[in-house]
Amino acid sequence: MLAAVNGLDLVAKTVVDGFVAGLHRSPDFGFSQEFAEYRSYTPGDDLRQVDWNVFARSERIVLKRYRGETNSQLTVMLDASNSMAYGSHGVSKIDYARYLAASLSYMATQQRDACGLIVFDDEVRNFVPPSTRQGQLHRLLHGIEHAEPKARTDFLRPFQHFQEFMKRRGIAAVISDFWAQPEAIVKAVAPLRFRGNEVILFHVLDPQEVRPKLRGPAILIDMETNDSLEVSPDYAREEYRQKIDAHITDLRDHTKRAGMDYFQIPTDRPLDEALREYLSIRQGRF
Amino acid sequence: MGFLAPWFLAGLAALGLPIYVHLLRQHKTEPLPFSSLMFFEQRTQSSIKHRRLRYLMLMALRLLLLFLIVLAFANPFWKSTALINRGEPLLVVGVDHSFSMRSGTRLADAKQGAAGIIAAKGGGARAQVISLGNNADVLTKPEQDKSILRAAIESIQAGDGKTNFGEFSRAIRSISNAAQVPLQVHLFSDFQRTGLPAGFNDLQLPTGVELKLHPVANRAETNYAVETVSAPATVWDTKKARVQATVAGYESPAAKKTVSLVVNGRALQSKPVELAANGRATVEFIGIEANYGFAKCEIRIDGNDALPGDDRMLFAIERADPKKALMIHESRDGRSPLYYKAALGSAGESAFTLDVVPVEQAGGLNLSRYAFVVAADVLSLPSSLEASLTKYVQTGGSVMIALGPSSARRNRVPVTGDPVSEGKYYSRDGARFDTVGHVDTTFAPIAKASGWQGVRFYYSVRTPAANARVLARLTDETPLLYEKKIGEGRAVVFASGLDNLTNDFPQFPAFVAFAEQSARYLAGVDERQSVAAVGSSIELRTQRETALGVEVMDPDGKRAMSLSEAARASSFMVTREGFFEVRRANGRHEMIAVNADRRESDLGLIPEETRSLWSGAAGETVQAGIGPAASSKKEEEQVHPYWWHLMFAALLAAVVETIVASRYLGVEQEA
Repeated sequence: MLAAVNGLDLVAKTVVDGFVAGLHRSPDFGFSQEFAEYRSYTPGDDLRQVDWNVFARSERIVLKRYRGETNSQLTVMLDASNSMAYGSHGVSKIDYARYLAASLSYMATQQRDACGLIVFDDEVRNFVPPSTRQGQLHRLLHGIEHAEPKARTDFLRPFQHFQEFMKRRGIAAVISDFWAQPEAIVKAVAPLRFRGNEVILFHVLDPQEVRPKLRGPAILIDMETNDSLEVSPDYAREEYRQKIDAHITDLRDHTKRAGMDYFQIPTDRPLDEALREYLSIRQGRF
Repeated sequence: MGFLAPWFLAGLAALGLPIYVHLLRQHKTEPLPFSSLMFFEQRTQSSIKHRRLRYLMLMALRLLLLFLIVLAFANPFWKSTALINRGEPLLVVGVDHSFSMRSGTRLADAKQGAAGIIAAKGGGARAQVISLGNNADVLTKPEQDKSILRAAIESIQAGDGKTNFGEFSRAIRSISNAAQVPLQVHLFSDFQRTGLPAGFNDLQLPTGVELKLHPVANRAETNYAVETVSAPATVWDTKKARVQATVAGYESPAAKKTVSLVVNGRALQSKPVELAANGRATVEFIGIEANYGFAKCEIRIDGNDALPGDDRMLFAIERADPKKALMIHESRDGRSPLYYKAALGSAGESAFTLDVVPVEQAGGLNLSRYAFVVAADVLSLPSSLEASLTKYVQTGGSVMIALGPSSARRNRVPVTGDPVSEGKYYSRDGARFDTVGHVDTTFAPIAKASGWQGVRFYYSVRTPAANARVLARLTDETPLLYEKKIGEGRAVVFASGLDNLTNDFPQFPAFVAFAEQSARYLAGVDERQSVAAVGSSIELRTQRETALGVEVMDPDGKRAMSLSEAARASSFMVTREGFFEVRRANGRHEMIAVNADRRESDLGLIPEETRSLWSGAAGETVQAGIGPAASSKKEEEQVHPYWWHLMFAALLAAVVETIVASRYLGVEQEA
C-alpha cells in the first residue's frame, strides 16, 4: 500500500489520521487545571508554585504540580546509511523508514508540537531544527524525502553532535536498522536520555534480514563495506538466525535497561498497523 | 567376464556429464548485496561445502543409467567352465556316390571301407550313414546295430549327382547341433577338385567333430567326355537340322576320337575328331533323320576311359512341321514381303512357312492357324481385320507391326493403339539418316543380330511407346523397336519399314538373324526346355496353373511323382540321367534329356594340403575313441552374454530417473 503512495505527506496523513491518542503527553508540567501531585520544595523551585494553603495548615512547603498537555518537542533521527537501502521486496528499509519518519512528523505537527529532523549516517547529513512554525511539516518532509543512503553507519560520531542540537528536553525517535553491537548503540544513544529526553528506538528490519532464505551457496556483499563472503544456506538457516535473534533480544534488553523505548518493525508489516500497536502499548504504559 | 565390444567402454567418459550438471553447474553463484555481514562468518570449508552434489539420488540414477547403457553396448559376457558329460561320441560314415564314383571300383572301395569302419566300431557305439551326391542324405538314424548300418551302406548305388562337399559339411554341422555329442566322421570319396564349394568357410565343422578323409582314388585319371551338345529342341527340316557337340579331354594326352550321332538307338553319323592334350574339339552334324514326334538322341565318343558314363550326352528333339506365319502388306508394297520372306527362308532352319497376303484379301483369314502375324506398313487395315487381329493377340497370339510411311498417315498404331506423333524423313535433314543409339541386348532377336550396328534409317515413325518395353532407340531417342503385352499375347512394333526404302536394314546379314529370331520369339518356339542336368529342376506349372495336373515319367517309364506331388508340385528335380517325359499343366508334352553334370568328368583331385586343412580344421580331436567304454567328459567354457539384462536394468533406471526428476522439478518450481 505504501509503495503505491508517492507523496510523503499523503502517506503520513493516510497512516496517522484516525489515531485516537497522540504520541505523548507533555513531560512538562504546565498551568492547566488538572492536578498532578505535591512535591517538597527544594531550593531553586519557583515560589509561585508553592501551595500556601498547605503551608498554612501544616507549615510544610510543598509545590502543587499540574499536568499540562502542552508543547513537547519531537526529534526524528533517521539513519541514512547504505545498509538502509536494502530491500528484499517492494519496499526498502530506507523507504519504510521515510514513511515512518514522515508519519511521526505529521503526528507531532498535528499535536502542535515542535518537530525536528536529523538525518545521519557516519555523520549528520541534515538537520531541521524543531519548530512549530508554519511550514515546518513541509520542511521536515523535504528533509526526509532527500535522505538518501550514502555512507556507513557510525552511531558514536553523529550522536555526540546530537547533544548540541537538543536544547530542550523532548522525545528523540531514532529510526535505524541498528547494525552495531547493542552495547555500542546504547552507549551512543544513552546520553540523550541523561538530559531528560525520552528516547524511542525504531528498529527497521527487512524480513530477509531476520529470516534469510538462500536456495544455494551465495556470495553476499556488505552494502556498507563492500566486503564479500560466501554463505551457505545451512548457515543462513541455522546459525545466522540464532545470532540475529540474540542481537534483537540484546538490543531490546539493553535499551530497556537504559530507560529507552524499543520497537522493532519489519518492513513487510503495514506501517499503520505497526504504529497503532506501538501507540497502544505506549498508551497503556502511561 | 569379458566384453565382446570393449571399445564401447570409452563411452564411460560420458559419466562426467551428470557430475558436471549436478556439481559444477550448481556452484554458479550470483553475488547478492546484503545490508550487513555482521552476523555471517567466513568459513574456510565453505567453498568445498558449496560444491556439494545436489540431488544425489537423481545424479546416482543418471550415472547408473549411462553406465548400464555403455556397459550393454560393450556387450559383456561371463564364462562358465563346466564339466560336461557329452556322452558317447557318434560315428558318422559318409559315402560319396556321385557320378564320378562310377569310375573303376571307386564306389565299391568306398562301401568296403565304410563297412570296415562299421565292423570295427564297439558294440555299444552308435553310428550313422550318410550318402553324398548333389545332397547329403542321411540313410540311418544313430544306430548301434551293425547289420542295419551295413545294409544302409550296401544300399548305396552309383548316382548321377555332383559331389558337393559343402553340403556334406552342412549335414555334419546339423547332426552335431542335434546330437550334442562329439562326432567322429569318416568320409569315403574320390575327393574331386570340382566338389569343393566356392568358399572354404562352407567346409568348416564345429567343435567336437573329428573328420577323417578316406580317398578311394589316389591320382587324376585320364578321361574323355562329351561336354556340351547344342541341338534344336524342334526340328522342322531334318536336312537342315544342325547339331554341335564339344568333346573334352581331362588329364589326357592328344588323341583321335570318333564322335557319333545316335538317334533312337541308331547311329546316323560318325565323325573323327582330333583332341589335343587336355583339349577340346567341336563336331557338327547336319541333318537328323527322325520320325515325327520326339526322338531320343545322343552324341557318343568311342574308346574306353576311366569314366565311361560321360562318353555320351543325351538330347531330345521333336520333329514337327514348319509353323505357319502370316504377313499382311499393302498391295503396292512389294518390297517388304520380298525381303522378309527371303530373310526367313534364308535362316538355318525353315521353321516357318510364310503366307503373304495383301491387306484387302486378309479379311476372311482364320488367324488362329498362324504362329504369328506380321503387319508390314499397312494403311487401310479393315476394322473387322483389326478387330480379329486384336482378339488374336489378346488370346495369346503374337504380332509384329512395321511402321512405314503409310502407317504414319494413320492416327494410331494398329492393335496397340499407340498414337502416331509424326513420320520423320531423316533424308530431308542434314544428317540424311539416323542410326541405332541404344539397344536392349537381353532381347534375343537383337543380341543375335549383332546389335544392328551400321544400319541406316532414313525414315521412322515416332510414337510415345507408353507402357512398353523399349528394345531399341535411334540416336534421336525415337523408339525403334518395342514390345507391348496385350492380354495373353504380345505385339512387337518396328518403327520403320521392312523394305529397303525406309532403311537399309534388309541389305544387312543382321536382318536375316533378326527375322529368324524375332519369328522364333513371336512363335514361342525357343521356350521349350529339352536338356537338363542332374540336380536341376524342371518347371512344371506356373502360379496360374495350380489347379491343373502334371505328369513326369522317368527313364524307366514309371511315374516319377506321387499323385499328391503331381497335384501340387510346381517343379521337379531330376536326380538321374535319362529321358524324362513331362506333361505340363498347359497340356504340352515334352521330352527332356537329363545328363550328369559335366564337372564330374574332371577327375582331378583335391590337393593334399587342402584335404589336410579341411580335416585339421574340423575342431578338436575326439580322444576317447569309439568303443564300448568310451565316453567324453571334458571341461568346456561357455560364454553367456548378458547385454539384454543390462538394457532392461537401464530401462528401469530411466523410469525411476524420470519419476525422481519430475519430483525434484516440482519441488523447485514450488520454491
